[in-house]
Amino acid sequence: MRSSSSRLLPGATARCARRTIRALLVLAVTAGLATALPTTSPQARAAAAPTTTTTAPATTTTAGSTSDIAATPYMGWSSWSMQSSQYPGLNPNGNYSYLTEANVLKQTDALASKLKNYGYDYVNIDAGWWRDNNWTPEYDQYGRQTPDPARFPNGMKPVADYIHSKGLKAGIYLPVGLEKEAYGDGKVPIWNATGCTTADIVYPDLRTTNGWDSSYKLNFDNPCAQKYIDSQAQMLADWGYDFLKLDGVGPGSFKSGDNYNNVADVAAWHKAIAATGRPIHLELSWSLDINYAADWKQYSNGWRIDTDVECYCNTLVTWDNSVKVRWNDAPAWSDKAGPGGWNDLDSLDVGNGQMDGLTNAERQSYMTLWAINKSPLFTGDDLTKLDSYGLSLLTNQEVIAVDQSNSPVARPVTPMGDQQVWATKNPDGSYTVALFNLAGAPASVTADWASLGFKGNASVHDLWNHQDIGNYKDSITEALPAHGSRLFTIKPGGSKLATTSYEAESPDNTLTGGATVVGCAACSGHEKVGNLYLGGKLQFNDITVKKDGIYTINVAYISGDPRSVTVYSNSSNGSSLNFPSTGDWNTVDTVSIRLPLKAGSNTITFDSGSGYAPDIDKIDVPRSG
Amino acid sequence: MDIQHTESLDNRLSRRGFLALTAAAGAATALGGLPAFTASAAPLRPTENPMLSAAQAAKNQLWWQAPGSSASMIQQGLPVGNGRLGALTSNDPAGELLMITDDTLWTGGRNDTLQSDGQFPYSQDDFGTFTLLAQLTVDIPGHDLSSANDYRRTLDMAQGLVSASYEISGVTYQRQIFASRPDDVIVLHFSQQGAGSYTGTVSLTGTHGESTTADSAGPCASFGASLANGLKYGAAVTAYSSTGKVGLSGTSLSFNGCKDLTVVVSGGTNYLPDAAANFRDPSVDPEPLARSKALAAARQSVTALLHTHVADFLAAFGEFGLDLGTSSAAQRGLDTWGRVQARWQNNVPDPELEAAYVQFGRYLMVSGSRGSLPLNLQGLWLDGNAPAWMADYHTDINIEMNYWMADRAGLSDCFDAFADYCLAQLPSWTDITQRLFNTPTNRYRNSSGKIAGWTVAISTNPYGGGGWWWHPAGNAWLCLNLFEHYEYTQDRAYLDKVYPLIKGAVEFWEARLITTTVTDASGTSYEVLIADSDWSPEQGPLDAKGITYAQELVWNLFGHYLTATQVLGRDTDYSKTVDGLRERLYLPVVSPTTGWLEEWMTPDNLGDPQHRHLSPLIGLFPGDRIRPDNSTAKDILDGATNLLIARGMNSFGWANAWRSLCWARLKNAEKAYQLVVNNLKPSANGSNGTAVNLFDIYELSPGNGIFQIEANFGTSSAVIEMLVYSRPGHAELLPALPAAWAASGSVSGVGVRGGFVADFSWRNGKVTQATLKSVGGLGTTVYANGTSRQLSIRPGESVTLRNLG
Repeated sequence: MRSSSSRLLPGATARCARRTIRALLVLAVTAGLATALPTTSPQARAAAAPTTTTTAPATTTTAGSTSDIAATPYMGWSSWSMQSSQYPGLNPNGNYSYLTEANVLKQTDALASKLKNYGYDYVNIDAGWWRDNNWTPEYDQYGRQTPDPARFPNGMKPVADYIHSKGLKAGIYLPVGLEKEAYGDGKVPIWNATGCTTADIVYPDLRTTNGWDSSYKLNFDNPCAQKYIDSQAQMLADWGYDFLKLDGVGPGSFKSGDNYNNVADVAAWHKAIAATGRPIHLELSWSLDINYAADWKQYSNGWRIDTDVECYCNTLVTWDNSVKVRWNDAPAWSDKAGPGGWNDLDSLDVGNGQMDGLTNAERQSYMTLWAINKSPLFTGDDLTKLDSYGLSLLTNQEVIAVDQSNSPVARPVTPMGDQQVWATKNPDGSYTVALFNLAGAPASVTADWASLGFKGNASVHDLWNHQDIGNYKDSITEALPAHGSRLFTIKPGGSKLATTSYEAESPDNTLTGGATVVGCAACSGHEKVGNLYLGGKLQFNDITVKKDGIYTINVAYISGDPRSVTVYSNSSNGSSLNFPSTGDWNTVDTVSIRLPLKAGSNTITFDSGSGYAPDIDKIDVPRSG
Repeated sequence: MDIQHTESLDNRLSRRGFLALTAAAGAATALGGLPAFTASAAPLRPTENPMLSAAQAAKNQLWWQAPGSSASMIQQGLPVGNGRLGALTSNDPAGELLMITDDTLWTGGRNDTLQSDGQFPYSQDDFGTFTLLAQLTVDIPGHDLSSANDYRRTLDMAQGLVSASYEISGVTYQRQIFASRPDDVIVLHFSQQGAGSYTGTVSLTGTHGESTTADSAGPCASFGASLANGLKYGAAVTAYSSTGKVGLSGTSLSFNGCKDLTVVVSGGTNYLPDAAANFRDPSVDPEPLARSKALAAARQSVTALLHTHVADFLAAFGEFGLDLGTSSAAQRGLDTWGRVQARWQNNVPDPELEAAYVQFGRYLMVSGSRGSLPLNLQGLWLDGNAPAWMADYHTDINIEMNYWMADRAGLSDCFDAFADYCLAQLPSWTDITQRLFNTPTNRYRNSSGKIAGWTVAISTNPYGGGGWWWHPAGNAWLCLNLFEHYEYTQDRAYLDKVYPLIKGAVEFWEARLITTTVTDASGTSYEVLIADSDWSPEQGPLDAKGITYAQELVWNLFGHYLTATQVLGRDTDYSKTVDGLRERLYLPVVSPTTGWLEEWMTPDNLGDPQHRHLSPLIGLFPGDRIRPDNSTAKDILDGATNLLIARGMNSFGWANAWRSLCWARLKNAEKAYQLVVNNLKPSANGSNGTAVNLFDIYELSPGNGIFQIEANFGTSSAVIEMLVYSRPGHAELLPALPAAWAASGSVSGVGVRGGFVADFSWRNGKVTQATLKSVGGLGTTVYANGTSRQLSIRPGESVTLRNLG
């Protein structure tokens, strides 16, 4: 269970604004907040590690493995960012009114002419296609969403046909569950399901579900429920859609608890799509619960890891509102993505600085993070008004190639401060390395080759500027603007870094407070030191080096949520370092830290202080500084 | 101990002789009460290249790997200054920003209408505030930092140069910024190596709503205006290039395809340091003067401007050298901000960084204290028009601390701005004191009803005005600084110049002291003289009589006055009267209750034991009545030590610096050093400590850190005080050398009270060689390595001591 309470409020507020202005939903969202806040002890959280408790069909194939859907992160355009914005002129007929056939076709043309050649091929219609400008929904005689005639006077199929005529793919949107307004007193028949009505597909107590409590929860114990999903899927397939965003899905969408567990819905959609015979990419939204990552991966092709990126303000996004949080939130998911299913960081709104509400540096950092995380690259910008800088970002083929490559998702290789280095190793032995400065002022950022496991010279290629910038020995330091970034390919030309490993569980170490050695299947030596909290301390003794120096030390650790620890050598003051989440309590990841060591014997201490620290597996200390 | 006399070595290098010449020429324009910003003859230009070699320059350079933020200039901008005209510079490739100041650009005025409580108004309108002169931007849109590699900016402290370099698409771009005193302009020079060029705009704007106009002649952009107090000011900018096109774009200057670009800025006010003229020079019209100065400088090649500036600055920076030991290769590999952070996190001494911090303090003083007003609470630098405490002159520690460093660090000439300020203010201070101090509602008035001489308020401005509350003992503290400068320099002409200040303060106290009877421990009662009602800065009762702060300062004042009359042969009879008063002055005792030296002439503690001010320890530092030797009664020494312990080690900036100086005086090297280290803690989000640009930051409120320059100077003074303690007739080497610096080191050009400059080196905590040069002193006793030697020297001569102990 995630507990990033600091982020929940803006997103919750945004959600209220997003779907409805009714106070009822405000209450619902507030209730969701309350359930998301409490945290338990680390042991409890560790014990709660990922176990899927929902009904799971027998199949274990991943959603993507049955076709080439989402072999790489999808690319395209989505309507929601412009729908959600108060930017002048975008929504003249009320909130979310941007979504019309005319606008979708206009954006289709722009995508085809400007971005299609770079791999952007999805045109995705987001929420509201079945709602009028007062957000009143419309349904067919089978309780299925039906297009609003003002927005889509020709229905949805001609739109998909037009998109296809441009060589592009068409995407559409639905909320999870049976929307309350479609219930029709339980008497609405289900298409192609003799004897089934809406009363059969929900629970007798009409329990609600999804992120806004806007639907009744489907009861899959009754086969009629699957029939309803089948009917929706067949309708979309008949119209020719290639992509479905299923929204409000839980656990996630700021909800938890049985009523909001939509794993069965997602499984039903997976099955229904397969039954149509049409390949349809299934994307889940929003803030999906990472403890259910295996389910999302099994049944879908992508999952939104966070709340909406949009600010619901006078621009599409703002840096502070919801862009910057993704640096903290993405690392937990790094091991969850792969061909067939990807971590979705949400819309990439970098195409027009004025409308986006971002500086050029922020726009570059935004796309850099998305690319190294192998997030889908779909922009929410007005493609008819891309500025030259935005176009240069969106069409940078070297950066797009990072996103679409078969390298693993990048992770931070430094602790999570204002200055960060993220990296991944590419199949050819090179590294993709991103430098970030999240501070509000320029700062230098250094990538040490030692944190990548080698030393000596390496050639550095600058992806954003398409330039080989030379050979750098042992590290590279660059000045970055406020909220700025650099993205490099580093090709080692030196040698592997010789290190000495020190296991946390070694009897040579000193454990203080509650710190204890515990078993750990994924750890080297199958043990780690845990329970580092509220004064618990792990002190490595007799770390021996030959020369005085500042050493780059790799720390292998486990932390199911982001945690901080004060690290120091000998009697230094040290500093409190934020370790990114490893996603669960069974996965070991590594960050590197810089510590001064003196010739001879040293101690290195991990001190939880007054908080909760990660579990430590081992440290690797270079033999020379 | 060997003693070896040598002749004066002033002719060591021909360059030095030349530098002295240019410095003298530069200084001549600023003496004698002339306004700093005035038409002046063309400066004398060097005939040979004065630039230091790269290796020489590297000894006094700081460097950073990122530019400063335009939103945080006070913590990230690099300062330049010509003594009057200063700027913080951002050094961003795509947008160089200069926040430009003139230290005379002050709102407010004489402020001589007291409030109903008999105290001074203290706001931006009446008392006034230091404000920005202008903002200059050089926008180069093609030079986005996100596409620049190997960015580096450097502060060359000895040559007075800020520079930046970076590479874009294979072209290395460089810029240099300096504030020239001889040409009275700020110069920005942009160059490149390769096929690069500069295209963009130069914009000069005021910060008080002024309108900039541009003239294609030059081309030149400028503005001029008057403050509400009638002070006129103006600024101008011009630019030129050997290639490309420089023209106008609206009220900005534009440049297109320039392989090099030089931008020249001038500006100033019609301030005149003369109370009789109401501090205005009616003959100065700042805007046209700024234009003519900028255009005159622009007729010179940038090399001529650079060499003229460097020759002047090098001479002013002088030969003070400080080596506190060798840092590690790993430390040397970090940039300055990285070293500040590593110093704290790793808790490993970085002697080169610690020495550089002192040189940075000296750089600030050379840049901000020559030929104009003295350094205020922010020196010469601002990043907005609402500086804390008006960036004024605070007389209850801050301006005094600013100038503790000058003589110690071989910058005696920089002290002149302080002395000249006091002299220029004296007529107004005297008038206001004599008219208003005994206002019946002033709680600090003389209960005797008598009034004479002068004193000041806690805050002073450059218009003869005071702010906040009366500060009766402030005059004595200013005079302590003034007299110590004489002790360092033995400059009789200077003493003669400041004599009216000292005498006026004495006369004030003669009228103010009151008689009371005290009973000592033996039960003997006797009459003493004590200060009338006062506030021990800035805590405890508002109406305490005989506060230690005042007693110690007046004791110093009277003693210094006696020496001054003897040196100058003046007022012999009056000096006897004053000496008689001094004999009867009450001096503090130790509280039997707290064990501390009393602050309020009572055994009771009436304030915060950990208060930032060390007012009752003023006899330990900066005074030295209380000494860790047999000359001070043990109970007094213990009481002072106990009080210092109670004050704690965890204050901030200037308060830590003062504590460090006191511990140095008590020869507790490790405590003195720890307080220096505490001030080197990197400031994060406005917390107390050292900013990116090494400015000392005080956390005014969470997230809101402000610059307090006296901490930079006070901390630098503390480092020097750990190496040398001196008073006339006594020069003690390495009185408080911490382990971190003990292995080996040296200092040269350090001031010694009594009229000497010392150079010495040490190894393993022992002085290995020392040279004392007399700058006016005739003799002293040198103490080192547990031994001592009496020296007799003639002015200009040097004595070298070897085989010490």
